[in-house]
Amino acid sequence: MHIEDFLREITAIRGLSGDEALVSAFVKEAFAPLCDEITVDKMNNVIARKKGPGPKVMFSAHLDEIGLMVVDIEKDGCLRLGNVGGVDPRILPGQRVTVYGREPLLGIIGAKPPHLLTDEDRKKNYLREDLYVDLGFPYEKVKELVQIGDQVQLEHRYVELKNDQAAVKTCDDRACVAIMYQALKLLQNIRHEADLYFVASSQEEVGCRGVMTAAFGVDPDFGVALDVCHAATPGAPGWRTHKLDSLVASMGPYIHPVLRRKLTEVAKDNNIALQTAVVPRNTSTDADELGRARAGVPTVLLELPLKYMHTTVETFNRNTLKEGGRLLAQFAAAVSAEWEDELWT
Amino acid sequence: MLRDTLQTLLNAYGPSGSEHAVAEKVRELLEGHVDSMKTDALGNLIVEKFGADENAKTIMVSAHMDHIGLVVTNIEENGFLRVGAVGGISPELVRGRKMVFQDGLPGIAVLEPNVKNKARQDLSDLFVDIGAETREEAEKLVSVGDVCVYAPDFTYLGKNRVASPAMDDRCACALLAELLMYADNQKNHIVGVFSTQEEVGLRGAGVAAYAIEPDIGLAIDVTAWGDTPETKLPAVKLGKGPAVKIMDRSMIATPAVREKLFEAAQAAGVIVQREVLAFGGTDGGAIQLSRAGVPTGTLSIPCRYVHSANEVIDMRDMEGALKILLQFVDLA
Amino acid sequence: MDLKTLTEAFGPSGMENEVRALLKEEASKFCDDISIDRAGNLVCRRKGTDSSLPSVTFAAHMDEIGFIVTGHTEDSLLRFRPVGGVDPRVVVSKWVLLGRERLRGVIGAMAIHLQTPEDRARVLDYDNLFIDIGANDKKEAEALCPLGTYAVFETEYAEFGDGFVAVRALDDRVGCLSLLQILKNSDYAGDLCCAFVTQEEVGLRGSASAAFLIQPDIAIVLEGTAANDLGDTEERFQVCVPGKGVAISFMDKASIADKGLFEMMKEAAEKNGIPHQIKRGITGGNDAGSFQRRGKGARTCVLSVPCRYIHSGNSVAKLSDIKAQSDLALAFLKSLTA
Repeated sequence: MHIEDFLREITAIRGLSGDEALVSAFVKEAFAPLCDEITVDKMNNVIARKKGPGPKVMFSAHLDEIGLMVVDIEKDGCLRLGNVGGVDPRILPGQRVTVYGREPLLGIIGAKPPHLLTDEDRKKNYLREDLYVDLGFPYEKVKELVQIGDQVQLEHRYVELKNDQAAVKTCDDRACVAIMYQALKLLQNIRHEADLYFVASSQEEVGCRGVMTAAFGVDPDFGVALDVCHAATPGAPGWRTHKLDSLVASMGPYIHPVLRRKLTEVAKDNNIALQTAVVPRNTSTDADELGRARAGVPTVLLELPLKYMHTTVETFNRNTLKEGGRLLAQFAAAVSAEWEDELWT
Repeated sequence: MLRDTLQTLLNAYGPSGSEHAVAEKVRELLEGHVDSMKTDALGNLIVEKFGADENAKTIMVSAHMDHIGLVVTNIEENGFLRVGAVGGISPELVRGRKMVFQDGLPGIAVLEPNVKNKARQDLSDLFVDIGAETREEAEKLVSVGDVCVYAPDFTYLGKNRVASPAMDDRCACALLAELLMYADNQKNHIVGVFSTQEEVGLRGAGVAAYAIEPDIGLAIDVTAWGDTPETKLPAVKLGKGPAVKIMDRSMIATPAVREKLFEAAQAAGVIVQREVLAFGGTDGGAIQLSRAGVPTGTLSIPCRYVHSANEVIDMRDMEGALKILLQFVDLA
Repeated sequence: MDLKTLTEAFGPSGMENEVRALLKEEASKFCDDISIDRAGNLVCRRKGTDSSLPSVTFAAHMDEIGFIVTGHTEDSLLRFRPVGGVDPRVVVSKWVLLGRERLRGVIGAMAIHLQTPEDRARVLDYDNLFIDIGANDKKEAEALCPLGTYAVFETEYAEFGDGFVAVRALDDRVGCLSLLQILKNSDYAGDLCCAFVTQEEVGLRGSASAAFLIQPDIAIVLEGTAANDLGDTEERFQVCVPGKGVAISFMDKASIADKGLFEMMKEAAEKNGIPHQIKRGITGGNDAGSFQRRGKGARTCVLSVPCRYIHSGNSVAKLSDIKAQSDLALAFLKSLTA
């Protein structure tokens, strides 16, 4: 499968944090022919191992997605919503969704119309509490089909834009799962010493929970987390954004400096462009928990810049995606046991 | 009797970090009913009752013993005590309440009535009056670091309801104690954890789960209510059955465990509610993320006015919950 | 090893190398089993001869608060953010050292002559604060201080007043110093470990790993903690007072002290005439949270040296309190055997 087809397919699959079984199964099937061992653990983490005699390296990109959950059913049949992960309420009014009740149901997110709001309220954003899902069914029918706790998924469309850009929901972070897929494909023809574990992790959007248990289980020597970061968009603070056309290697206290240097060296040797981000504290990615698993794991973070994160039009550069696969594969091939001696120099 | 067990446990002193008096009561209740009891470094009381099946799974069932309180941070010249929060205790809810220290010393929590230029009063405006007239007198009675809690006060409300401080989470301790007493030749191993320091961040349950390495985790705790005039969420009502948690801030219940709870409820003939809570957390969150992950769920008792001196529950929800628990340890 | 040498070492969270190297050299005089773990913690162990005694770990963090370069402006200044909690109001008009090479920089602000009344009312936040290294242009600034360059306040070690000391990084080089004292002077017969940990200031990172690795029965954390005793502060907001001895904590945001240990500490201090106080106030948090909760959990307690202006370029402590910290740690070890 081509990396972009992989991404197109996987971004459509339902997999809200805490209930990733379907998307885990998809990843397992896609990765299985490319690795030596593959398991899905108790938290729905997919753990694919490509064996080697050297140090254990764990790569982690999360496969869960943000979405909504039914928290109450009103007497008029509309559904009230709660968050699974950080959904910006500003993107919701007028959005089309799928409600996974006893069967998948199409719904539209509605709100009190502007002409019924006071002048003052019109100047504010809608809050999630003001919004609802309209299923177009009467109360009795809705009660038959939907229960509290059912999941609500945002609409999926894969749109190609100019200059190698494309937009789709859940690039965060399945684009990075696609990068791991690409790396695994490339590694079929590259020798590597390290014992490689590619982990598609669960529950990142609710607090990096999957990677905690996956990393405990794998017990790696080195960690590489993959996630998305921000590309420049209007109003965004400049120091937190990056260009869309190349990957980003973060630095800061949560990132191991020597391992990061190795990563930049590999990128340079292979003519892969790399930008730098500085994160003064926690990175809010799998890297944070991977780094503190068991007695600690020296960890680096590789990021793919995205415009409009946590919307349904997360926009990325397709070439950057492919370069990500190449960098990851070359890095995996470069890891050697000698690195251990340099860690604290 | 569930109600007697509950009342016994409600009377024990036990703020986060000082739960041993509650543990003692539990030990007395369970003596002779279980296979082992031990206390770990954080004060968790860990109780085993072995299962009958040769392929028995280990189910860790956790209920926390600790509750919220006020810790003395300074003794002032005039004999008043300044305090800080142990867990989520709010100045509005604690104002005017009678408090007690470990040795039974009473005090009144007072929110300073004469505060100017402040939109909202906080804990720094609160003091505890133990009747001392000087610092010297007060220092003979309490030390900095001592913790006071709501004075025990058990009230029947209507036919089925009871109000008391510390219902969060002694009602779950009562359920867990009765589960351990009445489970008989059940299929799976039950490891009951009467846990500590939940109110300050699920601390006890985390280390207990690490040591126990259970196959399945279950927390019992109270949840909020959605059935008073202006409160609609969570969509959970008192007296309409215990609630199976779908998610809260600490955990998304493992779908398989959640479904087992629904199954157990059906087998027990108990109606249950479905709970989605936008805030809060339980020991379940800590158990689920222990080691390489533990499939975990939470069974909740709907409780009004949580963290006040009158936490109200419905005994019918309690009786239903006990039936579900007894089924669950056989089914899972 | 003296406090001056220790506080001169450069060690913002994530770049503790210099501190670690210093401590390793010194600790190796008193301890054979020294290792650096996966999180960069320096772990010094001494196997005991009496297995009936509890295993005890003392921990102090090597890292300090500081800054990190996050960008370069067109007019050749460095943008930066704090590493750990540094109030921007303590940053204006200060000197900094950048990188291992200790390049000099200054943090300025617009002259008061030029400010409008609104400028004066507004707190200069990190979006409006810059480090100036005197570069000619952006390119030079980038070459000298690339992204991710760490910086610390530049402060000279000074003893002043009635036995006080002012210098940066007292939090927690005082604890490091006490750990060395313990290694040097203790004859505890149980398993003993001294862990110099990383990254406390950015979320108790190093200790999370060390705690998991060591999993002792008892963990005692030696810290510097905030004192707020001056400036007509109401007694109840003072937390602790420099000069009144080492502060024993009953609780903070990260951990609640084990009641038994807390009592043992007070007793050991009283019996041995070691100046001590109870830390009043429950704010802040430290590595005890890690030791208490990682793995199977441990009984913990925290002993702190009261420090004024703790996260600034000039933290202040009393030398006698620093001595009391290691004295009490050693007395406690003795009381375990008694």
